[in-house]
Amino acid sequence: MNREELINALKPIIAPYTTNEEAFGKLSEETDFIHDLQINSANLVDIVLDIEEQFEIVIENADMERMLNVRAAIDIIETKLNEK
Amino acid sequence: MIGNDIVDLVQSRKDSNWRRRGFITKIFNENEQLLIANSYDPEIVVWLLWSMKEAAYKIWNRETGSRKYAPIALLCSFVERSCGSAVGEVICEENRYYTKTIVGPDFIHTTAVKVLDHLDHVVELKRCQVVKDPLGLPGIAMEGRRELLPVSISNHGRFEKIVAVF
Repeated sequence: MNREELINALKPIIAPYTTNEEAFGKLSEETDFIHDLQINSANLVDIVLDIEEQFEIVIENADMERMLNVRAAIDIIETKLNEK
Repeated sequence: MIGNDIVDLVQSRKDSNWRRRGFITKIFNENEQLLIANSYDPEIVVWLLWSMKEAAYKIWNRETGSRKYAPIALLCSFVERSCGSAVGEVICEENRYYTKTIVGPDFIHTTAVKVLDHLDHVVELKRCQVVKDPLGLPGIAMEGRRELLPVSISNHGRFEKIVAVF
């Protein structure tokens, strides 16, 4: 999967936790989960768990630390998929 | 410096399934997991520890200017606990924060401070008292002081809490 495909695969994972629909409509790699999409910080862990399940990868704590925006999420998924 | 976090338990029941596989182990270290497992009301301990981490993180974030999503790296312990309140500590890197939590019937509210004595000088404020400094940080204007007194604002569900050390 290229980065665009990864973003498209990520969208349905993020959608249920998003409270700012307008920012979700303009979603790009720059989009910040908390500041832009106004996702509750307790739900960020759900996104991490959903990503693990969907892509069959394990996200370590050090990676989770960076998981604040779409770019970091795509970077982490891409790296993990390449390691497989 | 002060940080606070409010959890609306009606909202958290709608938004989060803390019993979901992986949820607890991604957020809480082994000691915290034991506190949750050994409690007769694990849901309350989950959100009590969570609000301690969030309140402490807000100070860490404001002081360092850094962001990270590392709830497991904020180490919580209780100093004193009863059914309606808790006093505790949160360690983040080399920093120690002191916390006080009120556990209500449908909310959990934690205030964290950097200086232990400040826990006795926390005041709750109203939204209309809050202004923003040139950097966009919230504070309240004080008579005879040029700088704003920093405040911490927390929103969740039906609740909003604004606190300062006074």
